[in-house]
Amino acid sequence: MAADGARQWWIRPAIRLGAAALLPVAVPAVITGLIWALPGDPASLICPPEICSGTEQLAARWNLDQGPVHFFLSWLSDAASGDFGKSWRIQQGSPVTPLLLTAIPHTAALVGLALSLLLAGALGAATRVLPARADSLLSAVGLIPTVVMSLAAAAAVSINYGASAFDAEAVRVKILLGALALGLADSALAGAARGVRSIFESERQRRYVQMGILRGEGVLSNAWPNAAPAIAGQMRARTLHLLSGAVVVEVVLQIEGLGDLLWSGTLAQDFGVVLAATFGFALLSGSLLLAQAAVEIAVAMHVRRSPPVREVAA
Amino acid sequence: MSKTRNWKRLITGALVGLSALATCGSTLSFYEESLPTTLNPLYAASMVDHRVNELVFDRLYYHDPITNELASRLVTQWELVEQGKAVRLTLRKDIKWQDGKNFRADDVCFTVRAMLDPGTTSPIAEGYRSVFTGCEVEGKDQAIVRFTKIFHNPLNRLGFYVLPQHRFDGDAVPPDHDFSSHPTGTGPASGNLGSKQVNFQGIQNSHHQPSIAQLSLLEAQDPLVQVKTLLNNGVQGIIAVPPPYRAEVSTSDDMSLKGYDLRSWWFIAADQTKPFLKDKKVRQAINLLLDRTDLRQLSIGVKPGEQNSPCEFISGPFVQASPYYNHDVPVSARSDKDRALALLTEAGLTDVGGRWHYNGAPITLRIGMKAALDNEAPDLLSQIGNQLGQAGFDRQTYKLSEDEWNTQAITGQLSENYDLLIGKWSFGLVEDVNALFHTRRDGRGSKNIFNYSNPQVDALLAQYESAKTDTQARDAYHKLHSMLAEDLPYLFLWKLDTKSAWRTDVRGTTIAPYYYWTEIDNWKYGG
Repeated sequence: MAADGARQWWIRPAIRLGAAALLPVAVPAVITGLIWALPGDPASLICPPEICSGTEQLAARWNLDQGPVHFFLSWLSDAASGDFGKSWRIQQGSPVTPLLLTAIPHTAALVGLALSLLLAGALGAATRVLPARADSLLSAVGLIPTVVMSLAAAAAVSINYGASAFDAEAVRVKILLGALALGLADSALAGAARGVRSIFESERQRRYVQMGILRGEGVLSNAWPNAAPAIAGQMRARTLHLLSGAVVVEVVLQIEGLGDLLWSGTLAQDFGVVLAATFGFALLSGSLLLAQAAVEIAVAMHVRRSPPVREVAA
Repeated sequence: MSKTRNWKRLITGALVGLSALATCGSTLSFYEESLPTTLNPLYAASMVDHRVNELVFDRLYYHDPITNELASRLVTQWELVEQGKAVRLTLRKDIKWQDGKNFRADDVCFTVRAMLDPGTTSPIAEGYRSVFTGCEVEGKDQAIVRFTKIFHNPLNRLGFYVLPQHRFDGDAVPPDHDFSSHPTGTGPASGNLGSKQVNFQGIQNSHHQPSIAQLSLLEAQDPLVQVKTLLNNGVQGIIAVPPPYRAEVSTSDDMSLKGYDLRSWWFIAADQTKPFLKDKKVRQAINLLLDRTDLRQLSIGVKPGEQNSPCEFISGPFVQASPYYNHDVPVSARSDKDRALALLTEAGLTDVGGRWHYNGAPITLRIGMKAALDNEAPDLLSQIGNQLGQAGFDRQTYKLSEDEWNTQAITGQLSENYDLLIGKWSFGLVEDVNALFHTRRDGRGSKNIFNYSNPQVDALLAQYESAKTDTQARDAYHKLHSMLAEDLPYLFLWKLDTKSAWRTDVRGTTIAPYYYWTEIDNWKYGG
């Protein structure tokens, strides 16, 4: 059985790679179905049929007149050539691609900084630099909801920066405060530290690690290959959690990121913007899957290169 | 030839650049109620959109906010032609678009054609299709604008913003054209719509010499944060300060409150298609059950008998300062429960265990309110619900988003969902209420919320429309006021003053009724 498992090491990474490739198409497809099911349509919002005779013409212009499949396929073929169309409502007439290109770095920076905080906490927990007694403090801070921390940060930025709240410096401050809110609130850091501590403490009890320590080797170098897949999986889940939290933080702090784009696009039924934002999120999720697959492949390669363990008769 | 053109382009570009530099001063930042949905005047849907248009574009004709006279910054002469069914306009020759191109008669005719083109999918354009039949250019500077009929005051019909022909490929102006976020106008400032703010740059022109080099429009935050930011000089102005925060602004030496004449009044529309609201006695009873004095105190904070109250009760669809307001119709400031109970009983409603029943079933009033009104009158929806609840009506309360209000309430589609809708209408100097009360047909009654229909009211509205003199128009609307106060398709509440707050170092702040920025050229800040 163990030998079969070793031979099939590639299945999980392969599934992850497949999912990563599918996500950017599948997620917008699902979202198209969902937004189509919502009441009202953007053409009627701009040109209500009761007071405006051009509703059908507008619907045809925006490919809304032949059902969701036609709309999605038209969007997909344009998106494949890098054209995400124009915003219908939130920034009427502006191309969506620049909006997306502005949003992705902001969201990446926000989530990246928050993730760095989590990784630092995880590393501290794994190496015991962050003592176990700090967990309760982190948990207490983590009881504050993300939205509350974000609101406090938004008020502070608004009052201090006023009209300059969208200048480069203020945006950096907002991203930094947002990342802190995202990383600390809702037990994100506390959870990451506890999770990794638990994995490593469990590995520390294993015989092979004890032997390594007796040989004068480090704990991390021995435990890492075994712990890496579990930690990679945990970190991917936490990053996805950060991505969803980023929507709240971006909306409250008015950071021009993917979450904010998705939120305002959905409220305004700006389908092109919504699909582009979900595409952006799907790309980020896909890249996480790729990273996890890469860790799994690297661990598998490491294990294959290591000398086989032989059973020794007592 | 092409070299000459290139030189001309270079010189024009340099001149436009220099004209931008010629404006001096700092960036004037202010909070608006929301971000504009578009900078294209044909697709303006909110008050914010209308205000912003005034910065970027010129209306062909406008009412001077100081003299109240009809004026134009673009037209030098006009004359009636074709037996009064058209006007010949002679335009100024020295005006340039913000991109340096010359403003011509072609642009006026293009704007008329754009509004008539079915490819311009705009409710505003749709409204003008019953006014214009076409436009003809006579040379570079003359245009003949043709009307569908002879109008009493044709220049009043020319209050549209002029668009530049050279920015469009054909006559149709779609909403998703780049023009909607990066427009070109002849107004005092060029605009750039961002996702979080709108930036304007002052542009010198022969008819506009703005002193302010840059303006920045920000979306309103929580009212308290807005006021604190203004105190901190983070912004220099707030377009609309909710009444509860006005005291804090007025006590500061650095800020002053400025009146903004929006001519806006509040109402509760009643759905007369509902069996229990069909009888006007029930509507009159509900009107008598409302204690407006208490509502005003609990929601807006105006104490009974307070002097200079920002909130003035009304009995009809006009503000009290309007010439159309009929002062013979009394306002209802306090509730009159005895009369209300008598009316409800006369209408066949029965009181069962303290709850009103109609045809054996208890009445539940579904009351909606435009959510944005909560900033100006906090908790009004609950307070109205409470008063009706205490009077024996079960009720459910809801808040409607801006989109729901604009696309469903105004278009008359919420009859199934609501019995009463609380809203506010705002007007400029022309207080034409025909669209609110006319039977919905043939493009009329386009803002008739519960599709109210009363032939006598329609007749009065027609009388107003065909009035040849101001007196005739006033008489028609006085009668209308009286009739509506009796029939009550709306329960009229009050006029609530709109106040702006500006820091005292912003000078020359003449605020035009409705359009706000008409006199921005005289505003000064910094420098």
